[in-house]
Amino acid sequence: MNDDYSDLIELGGFYILSQRYEEAIRILRRAEKIQKTDPKLYYNLGIAYEALNEKSDARDAFRLVLKLSPDNKSAQEHLDRLIEE
Amino acid sequence: MRQFVVIGLGRFGSSIARALSEKDFDVLAIDKDEAQVKAMEGIVSQAVVLDATDEKSLRELGVQDFDTAIVSMGDTVEDSIMITLTLKELGVRQVIVKARGDLHSKILKKVGADRITIPEREMADRLAQSLASPKIFDFIEVSETYGIVEMVVPKRFANKTLSELKLREKYKVSVVAIKRKIPYSKPDGSTDFKEEFIVGPGGDDEVISGDVFILLGRNEDIDKIRKL
Repeated sequence: MNDDYSDLIELGGFYILSQRYEEAIRILRRAEKIQKTDPKLYYNLGIAYEALNEKSDARDAFRLVLKLSPDNKSAQEHLDRLIEE
Repeated sequence: MRQFVVIGLGRFGSSIARALSEKDFDVLAIDKDEAQVKAMEGIVSQAVVLDATDEKSLRELGVQDFDTAIVSMGDTVEDSIMITLTLKELGVRQVIVKARGDLHSKILKKVGADRITIPEREMADRLAQSLASPKIFDFIEVSETYGIVEMVVPKRFANKTLSELKLREKYKVSVVAIKRKIPYSKPDGSTDFKEEFIVGPGGDDEVISGDVFILLGRNEDIDKIRKL
């Protein structure tokens, strides 16, 4: 992974923790253009969408996490909750 | 503590018996099918094999001492009508009955049911409502004109305080609470959130994107905000 990608992931996480979810999504989508196989990217993307109540996008993101990392329990829990709501 | 008797332990009956027990209520569960009763043992306070169409057995069991009876007979419409009538005659204060349709519901009203539920229809209405208004999570009717609604905050409200939004002045609604997701960092570097309620928020409270309002107001006023 190159530095740009790691920086973007870190920045995305920072925006989530600052409750600036739209900015987090924008940054994480930029990171996605560099690398599309990192479950952590899609997990944080799912968290940001879920925080904004954009449930459909959140479900898609958590599904991608599970595709890349089928044993990810947190992603499964978030997805289950989003489907049951 | 309120006591409930649940008669008929099919899918609906067993689910409600379980849910009430989880809320620590005293629940007596009755069915004539031994396997259904056995499945509820250890979950409810008491589970009994009994033919609830038999008035004598119901009286001997003491169902008249229960505050509320829930009748959920899946197989026959006649049985649920007979049992409802018997329960009211025995003096059970509140009898809630699962109906299969309008005609069944009409008869149940005549024999004294206090509340009738058609779960499939209620569920379908709820689903239709959530599909029609995806930003509205829940709605409680307070009266014909007033309601409490759980609604995603419109984007244009974000980063403003409640005083700046002037919701009471402009829309005649009150914010009862704000449901907010509080993010945190996990040891592996990823993030997650927990939900927090700000009950009775003040004018200085700032709204954040993704917040959910619990609003009280006239349905037509709530609708105006929903359309923003």
